[in-house]
Amino acid sequence: MNDLFNRIMVEPLDRFLNRVIQFLPDILTSVLIFISGIVLGLIFKKLFLRFFNTIKLDRFTERYGFVEMLKKGGIEEPASHIFSRLIGWLTMIIFSIVALRTLNVPAIERILEKFFLYLPNIFIAAVILFIGYLLGNFIGRAALITSVNAGLKVAGLVGKLVKLTIFLLAVTMALEQLAIGRGTIVITFAIIFGGVVLALAIAFGLGGRDIAKEYLEKKLKGEEKKDDISHL
Amino acid sequence: MESVIFRKEINDELDKIREADILIGIPSYNNARTIGHVVKAVQAGIMKYFHDKKAVLVNSDGGSTDGTMDVVRDTKIEDFQSVLLHHRVEPVLKIATPYHGIPGKGSAFRTIFEIAGRLNVKVCAVVDSDLRSISPEWIELLIKPVMEGGFDYVAPLYHRHKFDGTITNSIIYPLTRALYGKRVRQPIGGDFGFSGNLAGFYLTKNVWETDVAKYGIDIWMTTTAIANNFKVCQSFLGAKIHDPKDPGADLSSMLFQVVGATFDLMETYHEVWKVIKGSETVPTFGFRYDVGLEPVSVNLERMIEKFRLGVKELSELWKTFIPSEIMDFIHRAAKLSKEDFYLPDELWVDIIYNFAIASHRKIMNREHLLKSLTPLYIGKIASFVIEAWDSSAIEVEEKIEKLCITFENKNNLIIENWQ
Repeated sequence: MNDLFNRIMVEPLDRFLNRVIQFLPDILTSVLIFISGIVLGLIFKKLFLRFFNTIKLDRFTERYGFVEMLKKGGIEEPASHIFSRLIGWLTMIIFSIVALRTLNVPAIERILEKFFLYLPNIFIAAVILFIGYLLGNFIGRAALITSVNAGLKVAGLVGKLVKLTIFLLAVTMALEQLAIGRGTIVITFAIIFGGVVLALAIAFGLGGRDIAKEYLEKKLKGEEKKDDISHL
Repeated sequence: MESVIFRKEINDELDKIREADILIGIPSYNNARTIGHVVKAVQAGIMKYFHDKKAVLVNSDGGSTDGTMDVVRDTKIEDFQSVLLHHRVEPVLKIATPYHGIPGKGSAFRTIFEIAGRLNVKVCAVVDSDLRSISPEWIELLIKPVMEGGFDYVAPLYHRHKFDGTITNSIIYPLTRALYGKRVRQPIGGDFGFSGNLAGFYLTKNVWETDVAKYGIDIWMTTTAIANNFKVCQSFLGAKIHDPKDPGADLSSMLFQVVGATFDLMETYHEVWKVIKGSETVPTFGFRYDVGLEPVSVNLERMIEKFRLGVKELSELWKTFIPSEIMDFIHRAAKLSKEDFYLPDELWVDIIYNFAIASHRKIMNREHLLKSLTPLYIGKIASFVIEAWDSSAIEVEEKIEKLCITFENKNNLIIENWQ
């Protein structure tokens, strides 16, 4: 009876206690790394906030439309705060991952390995989206101003179309990077883009036939009154 | 600072000439049709007024394909009596060379300044290659104030059609006058006289990769001379009639380069203009007379349409740096009919000063900012055309004077907001 009790209760408990004792240093190390991560994250946040203020990051981001983008998304915080907080969080996340790895649990290690392998893709996709947004805004604004100065009545539409096309291209590239619906996304983009161009061509061809005729007649016959003003 | 490297044959020619008293520079690009007349006028001017001086004519060309440089080399004055000379004088020395650097008038001038430095000339003048109204007297009027009057810089003064030179009349002249306190009426006239000393000073400035290398050169030369206390005057040259500018030249690019160069100079000379109050006249030479001018055709409807389109599409952009009360004014103006269309001087001055402050604070890409000024500028010109439709030249000049006073009275706005 005693032997049975030992085999059912005492030995497993002993093994469990042994494991706990073996595992305890790992847990302690893990907790220590985790706490260091939090402390370092907070320090980095403050340090980078000072650095961003010194290099006048807020003025730079305002110039390139980043602040406008954030405001549209309901975020009123300055870019320096956002980026410094991001760096703080990134530090904490990295330390948390390291803390988890020190636990030496095979299941966690497998998940972490997969996560680490995928992480660069997420980062690159985020960068692509960010650059795509800034570039879309910049070139869209340039197209808008040029169209207005050329006297194009559809200047607003031209600006928006250019901006949207660049952003769509960035989204496609980001999704491609994340390996989400690889072939489908590219084909969808090509179909949508081709469709838009075809629709515009047909619309201009049919709807704008008379306008085009009138315009060409004016140009060829010189009916339009021109300015002789010498601006300089 | 790195200097221009000349071709071997130009170097040889310069070594042969060694020194000169006067240098006349003509920048060109595909001006074969008009440059012959300009070269003749320059030669006649030198022969008639400075025949005892050693003079060099320099054509700085931007790679013309129509034989501009050949025309310069081949143009001579055979009939000396036509310029009232009864004896043959030595022909003017000529150098025709392509310039290097960014394509533009400024790069052409840089080559001219370099040659002036190499030849150690005392007086220089530059004249445009598309002029149809230039006469030998222009050379006398641009050179003599420097040679005999002790001046360093001679700006031109012309009679122009009331609707001509609109960037000058509505922005550059009033703004330069309000900032630097000198009434130089044609600060971007294009035809200037200056001392060899000033040409050397220009060369010490590292601006040849900026808008100064293009249309910005004229305002840069004038402002640099005024802000650095060189002795400045102006000479009345009569009518300015020139070939129509390249129709491909885009107005917004022109505006961007000229206004951009003016705003850049505000950064450079902030310490100078922040203490200036009011303005004073500069000595003026030349006999003033009235001239007949070619009519200028204006398409008012199209101008107002462009202004309205700009207000509709670019208001979102403007409101990031133009105060709301001014934006309200602009919106109200866009709703006015053609007959009632009017942009008051006060509003225009506020707009220009706010653009200057926005450019200084770098609130957005500079090219976008300055090119977005185009519809507002067109609106102001349309308003001016309507206002001055029946006005005489004197009345138009009074209107420009009124605008200048408004710029001067409001310059506190820019001084206080320039942090």
